[in-house]
Amino acid sequence: MSDISQADIERALKATCATVLRNEMYFADLDGLAGDGDFGISLATGFRQIEKEWDEIPKTDIGALLLKISMIVSKHVGGSSGPIWGTGFMKAALLTRGKTEITVDDLAAMLGSAIEGIQARGGAVLGDKTLLDALIPVHETLKSAGDPASALKDSAAAADAAIDETRNLIAHRGRASQVGARSANTPDPGIVAIATILQDWCKEFGIERTPVAAELAKATA
Amino acid sequence: MKKFVNDPAQFVPEFMKGIAMANPDLLAFTPEFQMIVRKSGPNNSKVSVIQGSGSGHEPAHVMAVGPGMLTGACQGAVFAAPAVDSCYETIKACASDAGVLILVNNYQGDRMAWDMATEMAVAEGINARQFWINDDVAVEDSTWTVGRRGVAGNFFVIKCCGAAAEAGQGLDAVEAIADKVNNNVRTMGIALTSCIPPAKGTPIFDLGDDEIEVGVGIHGEPGRRRDKIKPADALTEELFEAVASDIPFNSGDRIALMVNGLGGTPITELYVIYAKAHELAEAAGFTVVRNYVGEYCTSLEMAGASLTILRLDAELEALLDAPAETAARIL
Repeated sequence: MSDISQADIERALKATCATVLRNEMYFADLDGLAGDGDFGISLATGFRQIEKEWDEIPKTDIGALLLKISMIVSKHVGGSSGPIWGTGFMKAALLTRGKTEITVDDLAAMLGSAIEGIQARGGAVLGDKTLLDALIPVHETLKSAGDPASALKDSAAAADAAIDETRNLIAHRGRASQVGARSANTPDPGIVAIATILQDWCKEFGIERTPVAAELAKATA
Repeated sequence: MKKFVNDPAQFVPEFMKGIAMANPDLLAFTPEFQMIVRKSGPNNSKVSVIQGSGSGHEPAHVMAVGPGMLTGACQGAVFAAPAVDSCYETIKACASDAGVLILVNNYQGDRMAWDMATEMAVAEGINARQFWINDDVAVEDSTWTVGRRGVAGNFFVIKCCGAAAEAGQGLDAVEAIADKVNNNVRTMGIALTSCIPPAKGTPIFDLGDDEIEVGVGIHGEPGRRRDKIKPADALTEELFEAVASDIPFNSGDRIALMVNGLGGTPITELYVIYAKAHELAEAAGFTVVRNYVGEYCTSLEMAGASLTILRLDAELEALLDAPAETAARIL
């Protein structure tokens, strides 16, 4: 079953740019509750650069496209988010070299490799209240998913649920770890960002889904 | 701030352009990736040795490119790690059938950038691997490091690896030499003043008129302690004691002794330090086989100096003796 085209990936990436830029200040506000408040702006700086360079980004295959995205994100997203998000895109790129179509299974493998890379780069594990707490349940969902539409809808639900499930955890990594208990009761902006991106992808591809977590409803309003 | 700067954002590409224009037969400059590579390019029968770090430490590292030294190097902004794409393109531009050894000073930003670039290059079939340099004895962890920092000792790693690569040794052998040098080289520095990154325009830390930072990092990161200025011999004694006791070096060792200026200290003061350090080395029973007095790894215009001792054996002595040519040469 070969069912996700390079055009779909390009559409998803462009939608991601829109998501991140629209939420620049909102993600910064969320980060300001426990972190240093730079996350929204750091992420937006990188994705604004992707929009700017979009026409020149190589589109010979999915791997080349994602490798360039990885470079731009690593270079232009500030703070620790640059290498962490950049590593995720790089790992996905290395599994899609020469491919112009992928399956849901491929997508699961790409995300699995991205998670391994992010863990190696930043040293975080499940439950540290980082974006991994969204990516890992999404990966579990993708591994047993069916067609692309239901895979996307279930993935968005998994990330949405991660917001409320991790809300009361205490951060162990990143800047938020330095405030200890103050990070409890506030969702991690990286988790909210992943959930928002997936929710917006549902909308982009015409899949009906209602957000559950309050922050997700606000970010996708 | 009074500096010879146009647009601070263009400071790095402008000085790199100057280095390349001054060495047209030796170096090729790629502005897009802030990269300088030997004009002759990599040689497929020889290991390529490359480096890359933040700017502000010149002649490390773009001025260490040339035969018998680095094959290529790239720069980040002042005191900022090079971008991942710069690192990746430098590996690609220096790719050799014999392999690529990437020398990385131990700072988190540099390591992350080179980690990513190395993974990408390896996935493309390039035989590349990293070696981390950590010669600074001042502190175990610092503002930007887990573990010890890489400082002026990097010169000896570059020189020995560059000579071994030039002699046709394989990647495993060149990496083993990097390891041997790093295990036998130790450094510590003292800052007398701060420095001013052009884009910042103000000193990166405050140091009183009569204060010094003992064990300073090459980005002005704190070292062991603040102290009052003292006579040169007392400062040299402290540096010598900290460095010589670290491995420790032993009576009878043959050594290379380096007094490195941090950018704003006159060569004459470096020789005042050298005289005392040489005497201390002899008193400790070391034989000073080679000496290096000058600027090898700086921190913009910071006044200060570092002392480096490298323990030698016949192999390292021969590698230090081998000819080399760089943009930092003095004729």
